Order: sequence, then structure tokens, then C-alpha cells
Amino acid sequence: MTRSSKIKKKVLRAVYEDNAGIPRSCHGKRQPKVVEEPPVADAGPRFRSKATLIAILGLVALVGLNFRLIMVDFTGPAAMQMADSPSLQSLIDPRLMSPEAVADFSLDSDRSTTLEPARMSWDSAAITTGGYDDMLARLGMPMADLFNLQVHTIVIDPGHGGIDPGATGRQGLMEKDVALDIARRLRDKLLMSGSYRVLLTRNTDRKVFLKERVAFAKDNKADLFISIHINSLPAEAASVNYVETYYFGPHTDQQSLELAEKENHDSDYAMGDFREVIARIGDTLKTEESKRLANAIHRRLYSSLRKRNRDLIDAGSKTGPFVVLLGVEVPSVLVEVSCISNKAEETRLSKPRYRDDVAGFLKTGILEYLEQRGYRRSVEGGKIQHVAKQEG
Amino acid sequence: MLYIGIDLGTSRSVVSASNGNRKWVESYVGWPKDFVAKKMLGKRVLFGSEALEHRLALNLSRPLQNGVLKEGTDQDEAAVEELIGHLIELADAGPDSEICVAVGVPAEALKVNKVAIKNAIASHASKLMVVSEPFSVAYGLGALDNAMIIDIGAGTVDFCIMHGTVPLEEDQRSILVAGDYVDEQLFRLLSEKHPEADFSLNMVRRFKEKHGFVGETKRRVKIEAPVDGKFTEFDITEEMRKACESPMPAIVETVVDLVAGFDPEFQESVRKNIIVAGGGSQLSGLDSYLTEATRQFEPCTFTCISDPLFAGADGALELATDMPEEFLEKL
Repeated sequence: MTRSSKIKKKVLRAVYEDNAGIPRSCHGKRQPKVVEEPPVADAGPRFRSKATLIAILGLVALVGLNFRLIMVDFTGPAAMQMADSPSLQSLIDPRLMSPEAVADFSLDSDRSTTLEPARMSWDSAAITTGGYDDMLARLGMPMADLFNLQVHTIVIDPGHGGIDPGATGRQGLMEKDVALDIARRLRDKLLMSGSYRVLLTRNTDRKVFLKERVAFAKDNKADLFISIHINSLPAEAASVNYVETYYFGPHTDQQSLELAEKENHDSDYAMGDFREVIARIGDTLKTEESKRLANAIHRRLYSSLRKRNRDLIDAGSKTGPFVVLLGVEVPSVLVEVSCISNKAEETRLSKPRYRDDVAGFLKTGILEYLEQRGYRRSVEGGKIQHVAKQEG
Repeated sequence: MLYIGIDLGTSRSVVSASNGNRKWVESYVGWPKDFVAKKMLGKRVLFGSEALEHRLALNLSRPLQNGVLKEGTDQDEAAVEELIGHLIELADAGPDSEICVAVGVPAEALKVNKVAIKNAIASHASKLMVVSEPFSVAYGLGALDNAMIIDIGAGTVDFCIMHGTVPLEEDQRSILVAGDYVDEQLFRLLSEKHPEADFSLNMVRRFKEKHGFVGETKRRVKIEAPVDGKFTEFDITEEMRKACESPMPAIVETVVDLVAGFDPEFQESVRKNIIVAGGGSQLSGLDSYLTEATRQFEPCTFTCISDPLFAGADGALELATDMPEEFLEKL
């Protein structure tokens, strides 16, 4: 191989890595300049930016002012994410997790005065639940960024299965089969990106209760949860075909409510369970990130499928009261890929190539979300085992 | 698979495809302002010179003005998406073709708008890459090692040192005194000297593209502009020289600075291999002017490329074509 072709090969790899968001080592003859960051406090954590430092300190100050409020969030799903996040553990001083320490910290006037006055405009009136939301809004960054949360494990949930076929098309194609096939292809594509552990809630044609799916995500420490479904409409709307993506929240229209009722029918949850999970509705981090994930997936899926089918309708990315999304404690979305009740769409869905394309669009949407969040860059290659856990 | 290379420029956007199609369009996108305009124009969106021609009836966007997408402007992001779609149409990709697109964008846009640009492209192509314009030019010319590319565009002049890989941040520099700046200078100089004549920025840009030069010249630059509605001839040689030379000090300074920061062992090689691309490289006498201007430091050799309009798109096409299948699968 000549020198020029070697260089070309190296350049092509670098372009690929750059575009795939893979951290790239310095290939040049020189090492990049290393800029020493000034230490923050005494051997304290190194913050990503001054803004992050200010935001963290602001949040901690808020902890001092209203510990009870923060405890709600530190015992919720965000706390579980935090506990699993080494980078977060390095950000939060463990002493601050105790009420006494929080009180000490908030009363430490010397530290308080180090904060920029303009950034510390939160007053006591803001220290309410509504004020907490307001404060987060004022931080100007998502909580996932604030706490530098990572994504290691993605759980893909093919809807229905076994005795529950889900929707069935007029030609006999079943939702459970299409969802499983797309989910498997999506898993394979995500594994190829080389940065994530990807699991399926079911890898065979078997019935899995919604509660089991939720438990699976929790047991496997899922960081993202993507549920795959195919929609179906009544016969009078058989010509209609649309794509929609949900994240948990109150229904925005009657159709969302009806769809949620349909998808929730085998939840296997007791009322007692619901009290616990409903308490999690206010989880800011989950809602924020679920919305972002849903938007990214939906945008990619719709724009790509639209090229194949000019009649495809964009039903949007929206909230819906789906049990599976409520139960999962991490950012989660439910994708209704298209309408199997539309005959032409059913024909398309029956073709492996089309299902592979759908999986590809979903993968791109997920990776775009992760890239936007900067997650991929923070994953250290080699530390994460690339496993497809074949369950069931 | 149809491979497409696109040079998404501030002033012109160019497409070069593996089916042999090579087209360009001025980087203007316009949507009819209201239903009357829509009915009159009969189109949902207009591009390039057609958009400019009907600009009064359009919400017009030049999405990469100043080399970047303006922050938070959905219209500019939508314009990039439309422009990419239009360029792919110009490449005559069939509706069922699988498309692999490599897009060169101004270096600064790559830094600050990468995600937005990737999103805009992704709605049109199954496999895509985004690189900086000077890099795509370098790739097309095979100038991958110990070379410097200067891409003189409308919004920015992008500098990039190649050393056998994708350039790192410190290998690249952008300055804002570029083609648009020259147009503004020329417009100002002409308006001051000939207040009786009516000039517009579009007119002076056309004057520059036809007659632009740097350094000494024996020929005179004569143009016609309306005075009270009557076209009158003006000699604008001096104004043209002053305007075209206005970005040169910044360009020379940046070249010297970038070379000085490079590995000392390879500085000599880089100095002997400086390639000037972009529309600005067509200024008459530019290579000898820059060679002369850097003589007071260590002498440099500048070469202007022969086909600046298509060099970026051709380079991007070559990049897309050369990309190994196993990488493409993951892009």
C-alpha cells in the first residue's frame, strides 16, 4: 500500500469517526494543546463549565433552603440515575446528601458569596414546587446535562406477543410480529454503533405483561426505553396512514386516550402499584428527556417514511397515558410506526427490507438524540460490554 | 447507490453526483409571502436566481450568511433542508435510489451547526457525512498531507492545514473578511465616488466577479451603471483594486500565523503547498499577489485551483465514493 493510499484510508476512518460521533484520538503529528483548568475548591470535582458550576451550586443552595422539596426528587427516578452515574457521584459531594450537611452548606455565607449575584436571583418565593420548575427553567440546561448523566443501556420493547397479537391487518399481518422484527433489527443496528448495551424485553413470540416489561427495564438498569408498536384504525379510516410517537403525560386528544386504553389493557398492575408509580409523574428529568427522545425519533421516522409514502400523515410527537411509559423510570417513548390497517402500508410492513429501513430510521433518531445530548462522546470505548441479552 | 457530493456555500451551492450530473445554484431559498404570491409563482418554494428575481414576493433566506446558520432561526434551518433537497433533485436521483451524500459546509458552520445541518440532510439521504469545505476541496485534490487550503468564500475565508487526517480545531481558522465584505467595500467606494449613479450590492458583486483583481494591472475596469435612468460608463479600476485587496492583510496574517503554529519540521512543506480555492480564488493576480505579500516572512507558494466552483462538491463526491462500505453502513 502506498503512503498516499494509507493516508487516504486514515482520513476516511477519521471522517467516519467524526460523523458517527465516535471520540477520535489525535491522529496528527502534534498533540492538541492541553488547557489546564483551574482547580475548583479543594480537590473538588471538575465541572464542565463555569455555568455548570454555578448551576450546581445554585441547586445545592436551593437544597439548603428547602431540603424537603429536593428529597422528593432525590428519592425518585432521577436519584436512581444519579446513583448509577459515576460522573454524577463525582459532581455531588456525598456530604451534601445528608440533611445536616445541607443545612451547614446553606448557612455557609462565605461559599454563598462566591456565586455570581445575577445568577443567584432565586428568592424565597421561588422555593415552591412551581418555583422549583421555574428554577430549572432558569438554569437554561436540561437536568441530564446538569448532572452529566450517561446512557449505557437501551431497552427496546416490542409490543404485544404470544396470545396477544395486537392489531391485525386485513391481509393477516400481526402487530406482534412486525414489532418484534423491527425491534430485533433496531437492536442489531444500535449494537453496530458499538457504544451501547442493547436489550429486548422479548425476543420470541410470547406474552409479556406490561408490568414485566417495566420490571425488565428496571432490573437491567435501562437508561432509555423504546416501545415499538404498529397502529390500527377502524375500517372507515382504512385509507389513513400516520406515524406518531408518545412520551408519558396526560392525553392530548381523545384518540390518544383510546389508543392508550388499548395498549394498557394487559398492564397487570394493581391499584396499589399505581399510587407509587403515579407519584413519579412529576419527574422532571424523565419528562424532559422523554420529550427530546420522542421528538428526535419522530422527526427522523416521519421525514424518512414520508419519502416512501407521500400520503403519510404526521400525527406528531405527544404525551399519552401509557402504563408502560409511566412505569419505566427513565426516558421512555412509545412509537406507533405506522397504521397496519392501511392495506398498502401492511404490504410494505410485510417486506423485510422496509422493516429494516424503519429500524434504521429509529436508530438514526435515537443516535441523533444521543448526539444532541453529547452522550456518545462521553462513553469510553471498551468499558461497555456490547451484549444483546436474548430473553424469553 | 447514488453518491452525491454537495458544497453548501454562502453564495453558491453546488452538487456533483456519481451519475455525472453537476449543477449549481445560488444559495437563496424563498417561500411565497402569501397566497397571492403563491398563486402567481405557482411554486411552494423557489431557489437561486429565480428566488432572487421574485424576492419581493418571497420570504427570502440566504441560510449560511456569514458562514453559519443564524442561531435559533427555524427559517434558515428549513432553508438548508430545502436547498439540500433541491440539489439532490438537480442531481436527478430517482425516487427509489439509495442516496449517500457528503456535504461540505463552511468550517464555522461545521463547528456550531453540525447537528442542525445533519438533520437537514438526513431527511433526504439514508447515508450522510458532513465535512468542512476546505477539507472536501483538499480531499478532491489529494492534498491530504502537509498542505494548506484557503477557501475564499462569500461569508468566510476558511483556512485549513492538512496533515494526513481530518483537521483538528487548531488546524483551522475562519475570518469574516471574505467575498461579501469585498462587495460592501466596493459598494461603499463606488457610492462615495459616484453619488449620482445607482448601484446595488448585486450589481457590484457582478462587477467583482467579472473584473475583480489584486495587485498591479494595465487594463482598465469599465462598467455601466444607471444615472437618472440612463446607463453611463465609469472607470472603477482603483475602487475595484482597493476593495479586492481589502481582505488580503488578514489572509496573509492568518497564513503566517497558522504555518508558524505547525510542526517546525513540516512548515517548509506546507509553505510550498498552499492551495487557494473558493470563488475568491478567481480574483485575477491573486496567487502572485499572495506570494509577494508573504515574501517578507518565509516565502510561500500559492496556487489557485482551476475549477473553484465544483472543487468542493467534486471532493465531497470523491469522499462519499471512497468511504468503505462497512463505515457507510453505520453512517
